[in-house]
Amino acid sequence: MMSNTIKTICAEQWRYWLRTKVATTVLILGSVLTLAALVVNAFHIEEAAHARENLQHEAEERFLSQPDKHPHRMVHYGHYVFRTPTPLSVIEPGVDTYTGNAIFLEGHRQNSAMFAEQRQSAGLTRFSSLTPSFLALVLAPLFIILIGYGSVSREREAGTLTLLLTQGASRWQLVLGKLVALMLASSIFLLPLLLACLYVAFSNESALVVTLFCLGYALYFLLWAVVVTACSTLFEKSSASFTVLIVIWMSACILLPRMGSSVATSVEPSIGKLEADFKVEEKLRNLGDGHDVNDPAFVKLKQELLDKYNVNSVDDLPVNFRGIVAQYSEQRQAVVINEFAESRMQEELAQARIARQFGWLSPTVALRSFSTLLAGTSIETHHRFLREAEILRMQFVQGLNKVHVEKLDYKLDMNRNSSEEAADKAVVEASNWAVLSEFSFQPEAPMARLSSAAMYCLQLLLWVGVAALLLKLAVRRLNP
Amino acid sequence: MTSKSVISASELSVRIDQRTILDNLNFEVGKGEVFALLGGNGAGKSTTLKTFLGLMKPSTGTASVMGMSVAENTNEVQKSVAYLPESVTLYGHLSGYENIRYFLSVAGVEKTDDAIHEALNKVALQENAWHNTLSNYSKGMRQKTAIALAILRNAPVLFLDEPTSGLDPAAIDEFNSLVSELANNGATIFMVTHDVYGACQVAHRIVLLSNGKLTGSFERVGDTPIDTEAVHAAFAGRK
Repeated sequence: MMSNTIKTICAEQWRYWLRTKVATTVLILGSVLTLAALVVNAFHIEEAAHARENLQHEAEERFLSQPDKHPHRMVHYGHYVFRTPTPLSVIEPGVDTYTGNAIFLEGHRQNSAMFAEQRQSAGLTRFSSLTPSFLALVLAPLFIILIGYGSVSREREAGTLTLLLTQGASRWQLVLGKLVALMLASSIFLLPLLLACLYVAFSNESALVVTLFCLGYALYFLLWAVVVTACSTLFEKSSASFTVLIVIWMSACILLPRMGSSVATSVEPSIGKLEADFKVEEKLRNLGDGHDVNDPAFVKLKQELLDKYNVNSVDDLPVNFRGIVAQYSEQRQAVVINEFAESRMQEELAQARIARQFGWLSPTVALRSFSTLLAGTSIETHHRFLREAEILRMQFVQGLNKVHVEKLDYKLDMNRNSSEEAADKAVVEASNWAVLSEFSFQPEAPMARLSSAAMYCLQLLLWVGVAALLLKLAVRRLNP
Repeated sequence: MTSKSVISASELSVRIDQRTILDNLNFEVGKGEVFALLGGNGAGKSTTLKTFLGLMKPSTGTASVMGMSVAENTNEVQKSVAYLPESVTLYGHLSGYENIRYFLSVAGVEKTDDAIHEALNKVALQENAWHNTLSNYSKGMRQKTAIALAILRNAPVLFLDEPTSGLDPAAIDEFNSLVSELANNGATIFMVTHDVYGACQVAHRIVLLSNGKLTGSFERVGDTPIDTEAVHAAFAGRK
């Protein structure tokens, strides 16, 4: 139980903050910013979720309401699939901010996700995006430093430390009183996050995940409160304490996370999108043009079919040869496309894993990894979305190709460009467009997310241990 | 240490980085005695005070207060003593009254408002200043606030660091009367000072400290203050 002396020192520290305009301003500014970011983000995500729902519905309706058409035109007409963000993305949008959560499905190509916040905006928006996690990870520690850097050193500078110690307060009581006060101040920044988590807990999210998510942030704030109090205890001058803390903040919150990304891209370099696209195009060209049944790439396929159906000409086949070529070509193209996509995803994953190792050097990186994995907004979740969307794309395109094979006469198909009338005949009924499967992307199961985040929880705990040792050293060296 | 001594130094030495700050000090201070340790800058006065307050540890020997070794019973000793620093460093954002309340609370001493008002009246701090923030106080007013705190602590032992430094003559007289009254009521007062005149006025015994060593001692006989001239001569090294 907390001693009365600790409570008294804690209460006095609060009275000082409340009477000092600077500290009060920092406290109010920090909590208002966090709350505002949460509310704006929650509204934005709620609105975006509704918009996505409408767009998904609209896209399906528009697709199904297409008139009788050539099935391959429907392949190119395409279709959208949307991913509903996880409930915790209100607080931790993670990679969603950059990757987006809608994909345009069409034949012969694999589109990346779109409608990301950062892709819709001008470049400068990147610096003005105040997400709740950014506030908690980067700005809250700065606020904690601004409030607490002088909590103990001020007593020494003013000479009140001697008087306090000679009243019978032990060094630990004094420092713990200051630490508890700073922890309470830090909880002002945590409170909006807790409220948001409470809201999320009622939004179909695992209570265990939400609780651990909150505990992660609470641990992070505790860590900063301990580091700030330790530095304030260790250094004789408040100015020295402030300078050292700002250097620590810049290293932990700004430099090391970026250094992690830079090191990751250097150790695991990946080719640029344009270069990758050229390589894919080059490989696809070698596979032949799926729109041209006379392409030499399909000679073997043609012969196999003629042999199978024991006929001499594709005109005599019971199926549409153009459709067969489209199916065959799409299948082969998908192998190439997926090979490149997998390779890119493996590179991104390797980079993410290297960047996450910087959690041993920076608690900010540790919490970032922990919270994105728990929230289901990590690169792993995004990759799963891309893979599931690709399966859907193949079902959709091959479904239309099947209609092409089975429902459209080959001769009509081949004559489609001879006249307008012929083109009108080379169509299938609109009832065939019902090839869309329902797409509902779900984040990983809670236990899977917990298991992948465990390592980064360990990093955070290690940091708290280091901070506690620093505090112990500081208290031992505390002299008036 | 005699059975009557409240404060005692026994072969007390303090060394910092191979430098001897206090060198084999031996003295005893009895109950109700006003004891002044007189010395120039760098003589070791503050180190002596810090050692008795438990803020520094002796290298050898013992500093005892009320029969307890300060080094071994720091917290108990700190709860039994009151300390008045040279430049009274209370909190500028609090009033005199709030400062007293806070420090009493840290010390675990509970006092009623009436008791605090009585102490503030006793040290003659103007009533209209009690609830003003300390940033508006003069040095004398701060000194009075700290003395009121010491009184309220009911501490049997008071350590005073240059208590009259920076006070005007009227305030010094008021302070001396207060110290005498506290001593008459049984408080043991240990002060370190370089003010020869002030020490002679109020102290029952003056001990000279130079380069960490005790170099002389003067004792009051009856009600007659210690001879200022004699102490001054010894202090200035003329004797």
